[in-house]
Amino acid sequence: MPQMGVSVAEGTITAWRKRPGDWIERDETVVEISTDKVETEVPSPAAGRLREVLVEEGATVDVGTLLATLDTAARPGEAHADEHNGESGEITSAAAPRSAPRETARGSAEEQSGVVSPVVRRIAAEHGIDVARLRGSGRRGRVTKKDVLALVNEQGGAGPESAIPAQEGDGGRQRAPAGERLSLMRRQIGEHMVRSLKTAAHCTTVVEADMSAVEAARGRLSYLAFVARAAVASLREHPSLNATIEGEHLTVHSEVHLGVAVSLGEEGLIVPVIRNAHDLSHEGLATRIADVAERARSKRLLPEEVEGGTFTITNPGRFGALLATPIINQPQVAILDLEAVTKRPVVVTDEQGRDSIAVRPMTYLCMSWDHRALDGVLAARFLSSVRRNLESWSG
Amino acid sequence: MPELTYLEAISDGLREEMRHDESVFCLGQDIGSFGGAFKVTEGLADEFGADRMWDTPLAESAIVGAAVGAAVEGMRPIAEMQFADFIACGFDQLVNVAAKMHYRQGLAVPLVVRLPSGGGFSGGPFHSQNPEAWFLQAPGLKVVAPSTPEDAKGLLASAVRDPNPVLYLEHKHLYRRLRGEVAKGRYETPLGEVRVARPGSDLTLVAYGAMVHTALEAVEDLDGARVEVLDLRTLCPLDREGILGSVRKTGKVVVLHEATRSCGVGAEVCALIAEEAFEDLDGPVVRVTAPDVPIPFSPSLESAVLPQVDQVREACRELLDY
Repeated sequence: MPQMGVSVAEGTITAWRKRPGDWIERDETVVEISTDKVETEVPSPAAGRLREVLVEEGATVDVGTLLATLDTAARPGEAHADEHNGESGEITSAAAPRSAPRETARGSAEEQSGVVSPVVRRIAAEHGIDVARLRGSGRRGRVTKKDVLALVNEQGGAGPESAIPAQEGDGGRQRAPAGERLSLMRRQIGEHMVRSLKTAAHCTTVVEADMSAVEAARGRLSYLAFVARAAVASLREHPSLNATIEGEHLTVHSEVHLGVAVSLGEEGLIVPVIRNAHDLSHEGLATRIADVAERARSKRLLPEEVEGGTFTITNPGRFGALLATPIINQPQVAILDLEAVTKRPVVVTDEQGRDSIAVRPMTYLCMSWDHRALDGVLAARFLSSVRRNLESWSG
Repeated sequence: MPELTYLEAISDGLREEMRHDESVFCLGQDIGSFGGAFKVTEGLADEFGADRMWDTPLAESAIVGAAVGAAVEGMRPIAEMQFADFIACGFDQLVNVAAKMHYRQGLAVPLVVRLPSGGGFSGGPFHSQNPEAWFLQAPGLKVVAPSTPEDAKGLLASAVRDPNPVLYLEHKHLYRRLRGEVAKGRYETPLGEVRVARPGSDLTLVAYGAMVHTALEAVEDLDGARVEVLDLRTLCPLDREGILGSVRKTGKVVVLHEATRSCGVGAEVCALIAEEAFEDLDGPVVRVTAPDVPIPFSPSLESAVLPQVDQVREACRELLDY
């Protein structure tokens, strides 16, 4: 039983992959084990024939216990009928390309280079792969970019993994034509969005708001300025949402630096930041939003104008969408989505408590928030506060 | 399409530019009836006359200075240095006058200086240098270094049309050794765009000038590795996206040049990659260059100094195995 970490004293046999008499290549998985810390596969330390299995499946034994014996003097191809043809030395190759790294229970320091290149570190992080536990095809066992991409492919092309483009020549797989490379902006947006989804525990809460009061007050101003003002006011009440989280560190900000997503059409979008938004009225916000939007579209934003946001509002609603689950703008903890304002029949209750149905301009306020930083009650309270601010708007 | 040598392609380019635009003229030592030290301008004096093919004294400062004056006055001069090495004598006119004219006075300086550069023929320390990096430190200058006959002609046309002073490095080793198809008539190869000389996915080998051919030979058969060879073509401004795009694909980079090592074009390319593509790197960025020494006369010493095919192959292998 291999030592799977300093503090681990024992391990359980989950499954034997080989039975006595089987031919085993070096580094081929023999047995799966489970410990307090990890579940892993144990590769064979040498090529040979499995002579005897000493610990049954399900049994838990101390670290250092002999699990099986291997006859390294044996030759392949002379055992029971259903043995794999060992002559090619490629027993595992049906599933894994040769270059794929094998998980190793040992990973002893002297046989691994320990160097993890920036690109391998990034890809491994994106796919939750622990590089330290791999043996690669590079010098002194270094895990190369090809190795980690092969492992990603092996783990299945579904899900976010497919975001990694397979490289030419990886295992000779067939691929569709290359297509056109995404623009730099699209690639950056993509990277940011995927990273956010992998980083934050996204959850979306929705409230419905009656925009009658805003409608009466807004004149030629957009709804966005009113919602921005209402949100900023609510952020002052609930500062936990005006925060940034990085790793295990949450920073609650006293100033509200409001990010406003500006669409650049097919090109992409950009989120300029209105600093000290709490100092501005809804009219001030409207002016600033129009200013940054105009400069974003004419590419005249300064670099510092797209940094340092503490909360973000996005407003695709003017294109008719009703509901959305936005992706948080890292490292912030929440993003508020203003959707279309549409006339809907709603039940209204008058002062005497009598219900009737009225036609009101309604909208959904959808907010994605990070469950690492806060819980649903707070999200609901905050959104209710925004709704109250909007519904009781008096200029 | 006719097949021309690298040298003939430059001559053809000069002829086309002079036919196309009367403000284009050439100046340099013995470029007129003699046809220049390497015969690049042979025959041009017959077609265009001595007024447009000036023979000058042996005075590079005067050649470049006169060219700057003519350019400011609306002409499009093409100055020839007999050897790139001697541009040092015209350095002040180039880096202090030509390069800063637009910044100081708002004047365009549509000037081309042709620099026959490079070694490989036992020319020794005064006739073999690759001085391109000197000019990367003088904002206002552009630098091109074609590697094929096609680009030699196309980049010359772009250099002549560009409103800035452009240094045009033509590699002497390629003059009569390299042949290739060159389209008839005028065409321009855009400045600031790399050319993928050979596509690949395992490693990016960046080169320019004659070293592009060393690079191609080195990776021709490299244990089946797919090496992408980028021909920079323009050294200033660098095609940042072209370089970074390839690096993002391959994750491994070897930069090759014949010029000396320190603060060279390769250093700039390496720095760009380290700054902009760090997270895409799967190995150290490697340079193969001449060491920081003068070019020796002795053939065996010269080949020890200039990057050779085997050296490039070895560097690529090392990095591929990393």
